[in-house]
Amino acid sequence: MGRASLAAAACIALAGAGYSAEPPAAKFTCATCHRAEAESQSKTAMGIGMELPPNQTLLRAHPKLTFERNGYTYTIERKGDRSTYTVSDSSGTLSLPIQYAFGVHSQTFVLEYEGGFYESMVSYYALLKGLDVTVGNGKIQPHNLVEAMGRKNSATEITACFGCHSSGAVHDGRLTLASLQPGLTCEHCHTGANPHMESLAAGKPGPVPTKLGAMNAEQTSQFCGQCHRTWEEIVKLRQFGEGNVRFQPYRLANSRCFSGDDPRIRCTACHNPHANPVPEAAAYDHNCLACHSRNAPPVAGHDVPRAKICPVAQANCVSCHMPKVKMPGGSALFSDHQIRIVHPGDPYPN
Amino acid sequence: MLPARRRSRVSHRARNRTVTARGPLAWLLLCWSVAACATAAQAQDLIARATAARDADNIPAALPLYRQAVREKPDWLEGWWFLGLFSYQSGQFADGERAFTEFTKLNAQAPAGWVFLGLCEYETGDYGGALQHLERGFAPGARLAPELEQVARFHRALLLTRAGSFDRARSELKPFVGRGIRDPVLIAGIGLNALEMPTVPQQIPASQRDLVEMAGKTACAWISGNSRQTEAGFRSLLSAYPTAPSVHYLYATYLLESRPEAMNAELQRELEVNPGNARARAVLALRLTLAGDVAAAVPLAAKAAADSPGMSLAQYAYGVVLTKRGAFSDAIQHLQAAVRIDPDILEYHTELATAYSDAGRYEDARSERQASIKLARESRGPG
Repeated sequence: MGRASLAAAACIALAGAGYSAEPPAAKFTCATCHRAEAESQSKTAMGIGMELPPNQTLLRAHPKLTFERNGYTYTIERKGDRSTYTVSDSSGTLSLPIQYAFGVHSQTFVLEYEGGFYESMVSYYALLKGLDVTVGNGKIQPHNLVEAMGRKNSATEITACFGCHSSGAVHDGRLTLASLQPGLTCEHCHTGANPHMESLAAGKPGPVPTKLGAMNAEQTSQFCGQCHRTWEEIVKLRQFGEGNVRFQPYRLANSRCFSGDDPRIRCTACHNPHANPVPEAAAYDHNCLACHSRNAPPVAGHDVPRAKICPVAQANCVSCHMPKVKMPGGSALFSDHQIRIVHPGDPYPN
Repeated sequence: MLPARRRSRVSHRARNRTVTARGPLAWLLLCWSVAACATAAQAQDLIARATAARDADNIPAALPLYRQAVREKPDWLEGWWFLGLFSYQSGQFADGERAFTEFTKLNAQAPAGWVFLGLCEYETGDYGGALQHLERGFAPGARLAPELEQVARFHRALLLTRAGSFDRARSELKPFVGRGIRDPVLIAGIGLNALEMPTVPQQIPASQRDLVEMAGKTACAWISGNSRQTEAGFRSLLSAYPTAPSVHYLYATYLLESRPEAMNAELQRELEVNPGNARARAVLALRLTLAGDVAAAVPLAAKAAADSPGMSLAQYAYGVVLTKRGAFSDAIQHLQAAVRIDPDILEYHTELATAYSDAGRYEDARSERQASIKLARESRGPG
């Protein structure tokens, strides 16, 4: 019996344990077998993804936010368990309820107006502890309250937004908000997780989802890039300049040390997708030293030239080689994933 | 400079002295010198008269004078330029072609010379030369007067369609439609491009003119964003020409924007009526790959690549499919072929970079990524 069928047998045994009169499927979840991953993932930024009323914790913590731009005044105000987004000028006022607050630490709001979806003109930024123009909307000069309220999203854009911040909201490329569930569920990344779980719940050995850990660095970047943007996407959209620091797969692929078949440089080598990123620089040292040390073990089938040893330090590598870069406008700070030797005064490379 | 009559007198005195002093060779030299002086004088005279005619806007009078002047003074750059220009303007394209050939021999650095040479060649039917010389007029760093640039771009787009570089041609033609131009030659050019017929408007067989015009008008409506007119155009086109090559393919590409779920069926219809359409086969293979059905895509992409080794899209599609199958080495060969055929298409470079990376070809991936970024910076963005 192989490892997969052993695991299936163990899961079937768990499913059939019969704790109560309820049907087994009602109790059987991914967490039944994958408890640690399921529990930690749901608390991560990816697991939360977005906030719906009444559980909009960030807006609850900031009951009144204001911002002014281009002669328009923006106010986000909490009343009861609802927040309202208001934009006003000398001609009048436009108020809309905030149904969808995308993000966790910083948030952009998706507003509905006359049957269309609009990305809010202003967002909440954790770094600023307040509102500022939403990234990408800086050049817009609104001519009226509706334009000042937000940027109308195309069908493609809005399905992409919901597709990455929630689960069940997009089916066959179309929005299905009735089945929306905030954040990324197991099935979102592990396609086939639901049928796998359902068949195990029914006591049958079901299909096993593709093991994502088998992907190489390039495939992992492509996979994570479905939401974090792939290298190709950024090049094709010609998103050059410091604003692209937030697209990590693009930056990483431009690194001198990136090689598609080297597992030491794939996203998941440093980041556990079931947990939030670790802020301490030292936490990543062992990843850097996996290549940049005299004792770095060779990786089977991989012939990347031997990495250089840093003459300055062997600790806190990312603090120098992956500097924090502020987005244009200064609203957010990202670790630059274009790993490199940074010389003072060098322009942002891209 | 001396007046012509005085120069002639001086030459005679010189000749007499030289004959007595140096013998027959010197005599011959002197003859040549006298003739040269006379020719120079004649050339100066012609130049003055040609310039005067040009200044007076009298092109019919200026043309023969320029023709004579460059015969007398073949290194007169300005003469070849105006002879070429006036020949082109008056529809004497063969003369224009000769003049600009001479002009570009004397000054290969002037992009306008290459452009006019290409335009003359287009009119005389030397389409290969025309494309080559128009491309030279657009060499990196070349600057053209805006009006000439537009004319050159338009003709280059027609020639690119003829050469089978439909994607490049399309991106060149679109702005003309966007500016509201509805010239019959443009409509025919758009129609040929839309139907992927590798010819120029002047050479459309009479039996296909209506088809090309219908396709051109429909594509113009599409480019202009007039969806009602586009839908109506496609209905008429599909009903009038249900078995014409590329009609279903054109409709399929339209469906990609409006009803992507119906696109694959339309590509299948194209392959039923036109089994040789490698482009339709390649696009269907890419669509299936995107949907995750790589197994179904493999035979389609393989056949497209084998049937059309010179079609970049077919090579690209097979490269993409092979990458998805993990056959990186073979994938790289096909993607390299696509890049060789159409080096300006960004997608080919990015896919090749990814394939190199997948294959662990670290340095190749790196340089291809840099090439892609450079190309992306230099070329226009989507739309």
